[in-house]
Amino acid sequence: MIIELREFTRVEGNGKAEIVVEDGEVKNVRLKIVEGPRFFELLTLGRHYYDVPDLEARICAICYLSHSVASVMAIERAFGVDVPEEIQLLRELGLIGELLESHALHLYLLVAPDVFGYPDAIRMATKHGELVREGLAIKAFGNRLREIIGGREIHGINVKPGGFGRYPTVEELELFERESGALLKLARRAVRLFASLEPYGEKAEHFVATDGYLWGDELVSDEEGTFHYTERIEERSLVYSFAKQSRYNGEPFLVGALARLLLKADSLTPMAKRLFEEHREKLATGYVSYNNLAQAIELVYSLERANEIAKTLLDKGLDGENIPIEVREGEGIGYVEAPRGVLIHHYRIDGSGNVVYSNIITPTALNHTMMELSLLREAKRGYGELDEGSLIQRLEETVRAFDPCISCSVHIVKL
Amino acid sequence: MMEKLKLAVFELTDCGGCALNILFLYERLFDLLEFYEISEFHMATSLSGENHYDVALITGTVSSQRDLALLKEARNHSDYLIALGTCATHGSVQASVEGSIRKKLEKVYGDKGNPMRALDSKPVVEYVAVDFALPGCPYDKEEIYQVLIDIAKGVEPVRKDYPVCIECKLNEYECVLVKKNLPCLGPITYGGCNAACIRSGLGCIGCRGPLPGEVNPASEYEILKDLGYDDDYIIRKFKTFARWEP
Repeated sequence: MIIELREFTRVEGNGKAEIVVEDGEVKNVRLKIVEGPRFFELLTLGRHYYDVPDLEARICAICYLSHSVASVMAIERAFGVDVPEEIQLLRELGLIGELLESHALHLYLLVAPDVFGYPDAIRMATKHGELVREGLAIKAFGNRLREIIGGREIHGINVKPGGFGRYPTVEELELFERESGALLKLARRAVRLFASLEPYGEKAEHFVATDGYLWGDELVSDEEGTFHYTERIEERSLVYSFAKQSRYNGEPFLVGALARLLLKADSLTPMAKRLFEEHREKLATGYVSYNNLAQAIELVYSLERANEIAKTLLDKGLDGENIPIEVREGEGIGYVEAPRGVLIHHYRIDGSGNVVYSNIITPTALNHTMMELSLLREAKRGYGELDEGSLIQRLEETVRAFDPCISCSVHIVKL
Repeated sequence: MMEKLKLAVFELTDCGGCALNILFLYERLFDLLEFYEISEFHMATSLSGENHYDVALITGTVSSQRDLALLKEARNHSDYLIALGTCATHGSVQASVEGSIRKKLEKVYGDKGNPMRALDSKPVVEYVAVDFALPGCPYDKEEIYQVLIDIAKGVEPVRKDYPVCIECKLNEYECVLVKKNLPCLGPITYGGCNAACIRSGLGCIGCRGPLPGEVNPASEYEILKDLGYDDDYIIRKFKTFARWEP
């Protein structure tokens, strides 16, 4: 018997699941990404490098800036271009904006209704209006950062190889400094709320992240040393899904907020570090549902870090100079931490500046195996115990814990 | 009290931005909810199951049999259907990927089979009649707010009929095409974004699709040629969001 679940709600994009039951027992679960394929790597081929980040941004709306930055970094590496600290800090500020916008959307509007037993945040707002408004305030601030650094709230084109179209003004930096400080109290409250979630889903045993907090030159894992994705990550196609599945050294693994905290706690800001230590034991169990708690701690990290960066830039002042690009043949990989985990853009560019090879691996594709295993575990636990409605609810919550970005996951290619 | 209109948001294959942008209305989303009740919006609510909608918003391209079935379902059950965003109105970037679906699947998934029944991405407007089309990648959220308010008040919303250049001039931005020689599609692209990209000092990438009527794509083509951009580059640029044949 196959139980076909309807499409998931309160996630980004279209996906569903099937539970295979034999002799009264759950035997298998298939996570089906039904969002149509979008072939972004094919779109990139033959394109001039200058236009590529703007096209890649369209892979995802919730994390467009992560795609722009990963794309720009891969292009700069292919051309052997290093950008100065000022440009790096501004990009980090944009990525922080994206993290705030994405985590706040996910935690307050998509997950919190589960905590309080509502079908959505709008209905939840009648009783918990304050909480919804707090979430919206953090989200709006994140979007403000994306708008100013990235060019607009969604799909801005301001992040360019070598720099920016437009640099922020002193007034804008002052606004970042002021608002990030003011919102910290709200984020700390969120940590308390999401710390109350039960453990569910699979217990992850392997974690992968970039070697810096929001981007890196290479990847790191719970094992020794840094590595390139080509060395240890493998992908395979499935007949029942438009997204591929990945393995790390042949094993399932987790990317995202929980992986970042567990692998890179040393780089956290003071308050975020204290909160991490307070909940370390819980987080270290590796249950995927604790990804939500990890996201809440990252709200605190992001606001503290945005404040630091704004202060640094205000003290130093901005030059606002782009680094000139000299086109040459080359190859480069950009590793960025999108809000929901590691994002990889890998290109080869020819002597006239056109992309001739393109590979993009998104966090949802990397988490796909772990997501399916988590569903299997919850289906096994709940089948026969819970009524159908409660079982479906629990399975939806399990998928939601990953904050999957289904649109992003459906165009993985190796050419 | 007036009965609220039933509003649905259906997402076909896209980046999620056009649905997300509705949530980015923040406080004004609550203003809209004075007139509308959300009956279907799977990114935002777990409720669904209505069989009639007063207004339905459709985002994304038709890229699979699932999308096509959902689109027909939405059309059959709604009074007023809006194709929202450039994927729905023109196909956007994903519809500009060349080659047949079988070839693309083979290249990407390594298999000629099509078990998930994918289709070549096409805009919604190629399959069903729509009551209103609002382009933009993403569309401007002020615009959809106004359109929904107009409909609630019984007024037919107005479609913009001027190029991006008008908004650029109103904002007094420097012309990046003339002053910086950047490839800017502003002169032939639907306005309504408040010249977002020119605000960053960069050229319009044409994400709202080509403005029909009195625009002159041939002359834009000549200008870009004179600036030193080659044919292949210009043609690709023209076709990216709207599969436009110049």
